[in-house]
Amino acid sequence: MFPAQGAEQVKKCSPYLGLVFLVTVCFTLATCLQCRPGQWTARAQSDNFLNVLLGDGRRMFANHFFVKADIYFHSGYYPSIFEQAARQSIDTKHMTEEPHDEKDEKEEHEHEQTMNFLGAPKDWIDRFGRHFYPSSHSHLEKPGDAREILPWLRLSADMDPERIETYTVAAFWLRKRLGKVDEAEQFLREGLRANPTSSEILFELGQLYFENRHDPVRARNLWELGLRRWQAQAETSQKPDDGMYLKLIINLAHLEEEQGDLRKTLYYRELEVKVSPQPIAVQKEIDELKQKLATPIVH
Amino acid sequence: MNTILALSQVVIKELYRRKDFYVLFVLTAIITLLMASANLFHDDKIVRYLKEICLLLIWLSGLVIAIGTAARQIPAERENRTIFPLLAKPVSRAQVVVGKFLGCWFACGVALVMFYLFLGLISGSREHEWPVLSYLQALWLQWVFIAVVIALVLLGSVIFAAPSSNGTISFVVVLGIWGLGRYLHQVALQQAEPIRTLLSVIYFLIPHLEWYDVRDLVVHSKGLVPWGYCALASLYGAAYTAFFLVATWLCFRRKALNK
Amino acid sequence: MSAILDIKDLCVEYRSGGLGQGTKLAVNKLNLSVHTGEVFGFLGPNGAGKTTTMNVLLGFVNATSGSASLFGVDVREPIARQRIGYLPELTYYYKFLTAEELLRFYAKVFGIPRLEASKRIDQLLKLVELESVRKRPIKSYSKGMQQRVGLAQALINNPDLLILDEPTSGLDPIGRMKVREIIQRLKNEGKTVFFSSHELGEVETVCDRVAILHQGQLKVEGRVNELMQQYQSNLEQIFLKIIGYQPAPQP
Repeated sequence: MFPAQGAEQVKKCSPYLGLVFLVTVCFTLATCLQCRPGQWTARAQSDNFLNVLLGDGRRMFANHFFVKADIYFHSGYYPSIFEQAARQSIDTKHMTEEPHDEKDEKEEHEHEQTMNFLGAPKDWIDRFGRHFYPSSHSHLEKPGDAREILPWLRLSADMDPERIETYTVAAFWLRKRLGKVDEAEQFLREGLRANPTSSEILFELGQLYFENRHDPVRARNLWELGLRRWQAQAETSQKPDDGMYLKLIINLAHLEEEQGDLRKTLYYRELEVKVSPQPIAVQKEIDELKQKLATPIVH
Repeated sequence: MNTILALSQVVIKELYRRKDFYVLFVLTAIITLLMASANLFHDDKIVRYLKEICLLLIWLSGLVIAIGTAARQIPAERENRTIFPLLAKPVSRAQVVVGKFLGCWFACGVALVMFYLFLGLISGSREHEWPVLSYLQALWLQWVFIAVVIALVLLGSVIFAAPSSNGTISFVVVLGIWGLGRYLHQVALQQAEPIRTLLSVIYFLIPHLEWYDVRDLVVHSKGLVPWGYCALASLYGAAYTAFFLVATWLCFRRKALNK
Repeated sequence: MSAILDIKDLCVEYRSGGLGQGTKLAVNKLNLSVHTGEVFGFLGPNGAGKTTTMNVLLGFVNATSGSASLFGVDVREPIARQRIGYLPELTYYYKFLTAEELLRFYAKVFGIPRLEASKRIDQLLKLVELESVRKRPIKSYSKGMQQRVGLAQALINNPDLLILDEPTSGLDPIGRMKVREIIQRLKNEGKTVFFSSHELGEVETVCDRVAILHQGQLKVEGRVNELMQQYQSNLEQIFLKIIGYQPAPQP
């Protein structure tokens, strides 16, 4: 009687026992295999959900969001891929230029020409349709408007932390237009953690310390570190970014001049003259510096 | 007119008794609110990206609701055979087409009002500005856009047998026209004959749905489209809607409905 | 008596397959008249052309040649269906509506004023015994209840001609009895009923006249009692004889 009842009980419970067995198998396999996927790809090691989800496709999104920031900078007036194919693609460097900076006239003209992508209306549909989307070139002018480009830069940085331009552009807007120096520094440091060898981020961080925090010592340290990083990169790179090098040494020269260290100023000016697009003017400054150094200081 | 309105009321009832609209609305609200909750450099006045995301979701939801609702109207009537007791009444097929169109259009209009109210609340709570006219114009133009889309999908529904194939084809066609229609002439001019002529003909033939998408103007606070142009665009949309509805009726009126 | 349903030389051809597959004659030169106050049984085996003929009468299918009219109006005109009620064989209604909403919708289609429609809906729901569930969506109804909703919608406009396509198919004996009672009541009210059915006993009971269709052609038409006298047998035997059915010999 009892054994028969026991068999009946086992029969009743067998689906549940099977389920327990399967869970045990799953758990065992999971614990055994958990270390292996790490060896398969680098992606599986990532602690970032977006990295795992999108893989390298996130760089495409990062680029899209960066362009979106530029679209916002132009208040929605921006060429489509068709217009960019017909003319030339847009350079995003203008995003970190002050509206009233004395820019190279040629560059300004080139930008205006590129942004005149619509041209004359091709037909009545085109002419009529222009009333329904932004069709004239303008940049963000109102002081508060600048904040509107920031979400896209934040998203771009989240998607591709190795995109250096994102950090420098965002920091520029944060500290110059919105007076958010702490946020700018935080963002730049975040960028520096992701790109420890970036001379561009070090340069921007130095700017922040020099212009906003009025701390020339830390600015000098950062720019000098930036210069060393640049030089280290230039040794391995075939096409080093001379523009960044020039910016770093010009800023260092200014800083040293302001701090009264003329010897160091001269040192940086002499480096500058080798790569400057206006060597005559720089040479003139060098000569003046040499003259000052030759003149004994009278107390 | 009574018949047409009665038919359209049934469509509206169908929409609000199905779950599609609620799912899309909740999804839009959740995504927008999630984006709004993100801390972006401790600045709580940033609003344009929210408007952009919310408007994108509104456009996609509007399109999904419009195509989803319109694509199944006539095929579902045939498949469920509700068309038989309906046409056994003094109802013409033209009335069925117009009633279905109006039902879908009004239903989408109600859905759009809900979506735009949400957008207005979200953006208003951040920027403390209420550009009511701008939102109203955007809503109206999107509603005209949806009218053309619904009429196009109804035409598809009497040509293609299955609502799913009609829905997919309509979605691709509408997205194509909406996204690429504006550049078709530009692309045509870069091609050799006969593709050039062919693309140009298509360019002048298709309804230019991109006109009704004024999201960029709303997001970047670029002001209103002059009301005269808005009226002309509405007239243009109405003409295409009428064209598609007449074509639908012509295809549907002689179609044998066998039980 | 004037003919309220008139079919003259009606031919309906169908494409039997894909393109180039030839055509099939579903109805062949059909002539039929139904007069006011008659209950007319439209009989025939499956595939005889009954449903096709009804489809033409209701405007679902266009005739290849010939003509059909209701109350003297060509069936292609929607107004021809203003005074008819139609009950399909199976229930085909908007399942997301309640019975009351469905009836109100059809009342609007007929242009019945709101107050009158409300009164009529109450009467009909009482008639088909669905008063207690009027607010429930049709999708929650049983098959019999859905068939009763169908009957109510067919009567919403107080029709002069009722077209019923196998009205008792799938119903239980009580349901069948109910339908028979309603047909009888309509007959007493002087309404005309045109219906197709395979229940020959039922046809024999309620019909004044019948027509038997076979392979698209009208084989017999006449008053039920005259036909029974002429053939000296009941309607079922007449039907089997006309379609040429030979019963298998008993073992």
